[in-house]
Amino acid sequence: MSATVTGRSDAPGIGAPGFLDRARTIAPPGYNRFLVPPAALAVHLSIGQAYAFSTFNLPLTKLIGLTQSAPDDWTLKQVGWTFSLAILVLGLSAALFGRWVERAGPRKAMAVAAVCFGSGFFVSALGISQHQIALLYLGYGVLGGCGLGIGYISPVSTLIKWFPDRPGMATGMAIMGFGGGALIAAPLSIALMDHFKTASSNGVVESFLVMGVVYCAYMLFGAFTVRVPPDDWKPAAWVPASQPQKLVTNANVHVDVAWRTRQFWLLWVVLCMNVTAGIGVLSQASPMIQEMFRGVLPAAAAGFVGLLSLFNMGGRFVWASVSDYIGRKNTYLVFFLLGIALYAAVPTIGRLGSTPLFVLAFGIILSMYGGGFATIPAYLRDIFGTMHVGAIHGRLLTAWAAAGVLGPMLVNYIREFQIDHGVPKAQAYSVTMYIMCVLLLVGLVCNLAVRAVGADRHHGNAEG
Amino acid sequence: MDRLKLIVLWLIVGVPLAWGVAKTLQNAIRLFA
Repeated sequence: MSATVTGRSDAPGIGAPGFLDRARTIAPPGYNRFLVPPAALAVHLSIGQAYAFSTFNLPLTKLIGLTQSAPDDWTLKQVGWTFSLAILVLGLSAALFGRWVERAGPRKAMAVAAVCFGSGFFVSALGISQHQIALLYLGYGVLGGCGLGIGYISPVSTLIKWFPDRPGMATGMAIMGFGGGALIAAPLSIALMDHFKTASSNGVVESFLVMGVVYCAYMLFGAFTVRVPPDDWKPAAWVPASQPQKLVTNANVHVDVAWRTRQFWLLWVVLCMNVTAGIGVLSQASPMIQEMFRGVLPAAAAGFVGLLSLFNMGGRFVWASVSDYIGRKNTYLVFFLLGIALYAAVPTIGRLGSTPLFVLAFGIILSMYGGGFATIPAYLRDIFGTMHVGAIHGRLLTAWAAAGVLGPMLVNYIREFQIDHGVPKAQAYSVTMYIMCVLLLVGLVCNLAVRAVGADRHHGNAEG
Repeated sequence: MDRLKLIVLWLIVGVPLAWGVAKTLQNAIRLFA
């Protein structure tokens, strides 16, 4: 698997490029490509902290009352908006800055993401210390959200270029970091709050300050170590397929053309449906297992959420790597067919009262949720080529923003509607599961409809 | 030198991740305890 740079290194150009410029990141001959994924992982492990933001939810509602919420304290609903806003801004900033990220190169993009994400914590800390929720929204939601969006897409096209023989595995490795970030951030946040807790403070402000410094530094480590391959580089002993596969193009589609194609919107729906089904469950995992199985206590339910995060993380690497062998379309076919079967089986598993089967079913579902995120960049690369894959990926992430609102809303409202109409809590999730099956069916149809982009849309042939 | 750099870089990302996974598994055991 090991490969080194065999191509000619491009000259940096006239004038001295800055340290952050793309020209300064071009790898020298003989560079080992396996030195690159840690840089991508450092960024994704940092921004994956977002998935663990909920560990701050309760402490943020007790800033004044400390042991319990005082009348002037923020409500859980107010605090909950911070995460939603961050995910929304993630999608929007990835779409908006995707082209700039491609132009500026991964080092500059990662450095900007580090500054945005780090300063998001600092502005939030100021907002918490002044008890101004607008500053928390501006800090973590807007600034942090920009860091999330730019950081998320910044290493993707670089890794695809380094690993043209295994694009799924390469992007899966980086995007696995986004899932793994929560596993680090959750215990880290709790440890920091415990450390800084005093009689007059619950330690959230100090924790935010420390996390801002640590994450900014860790992401800058990624920015400083990332390298791009020279333009004509390919892995030693790797020969691109001479017979083009049906859904894998050797041509390129410009981002401004790509997002006007049928294929882009089909993949948008594919990602949106896959994410909606997973994120809805993830947001309600703890109450769901407690309500469906008597005797599951909150501490055990937290263990269940942790296990789901592990499956979410592992699925990113495993499924994306598998997609290199069975193809992206087939991988999504498995996600949708297996997802429908598992969601349809959950009400029965609930009636059987089998906790291990329930955990296994949702573990596999969440592995496919993560796998969907990790496989989509390689799918885009197959359909639209390598040239603008980062920018196209950025625009496609608006599907995540939409799913981030749609998924939890569906699960919450359907559950409340059921309970209000006299359905026992343990059975209130059955209808939700069947609705998830319908969503996955929509995704399945869209995935089956994906065809190769016509040659008239290829770069050089298209009007754009 | 290249191999050492490779090991160091992977340790920098691998150690925190392994710590996070271990902590998560520790909590998850409660589910089946």
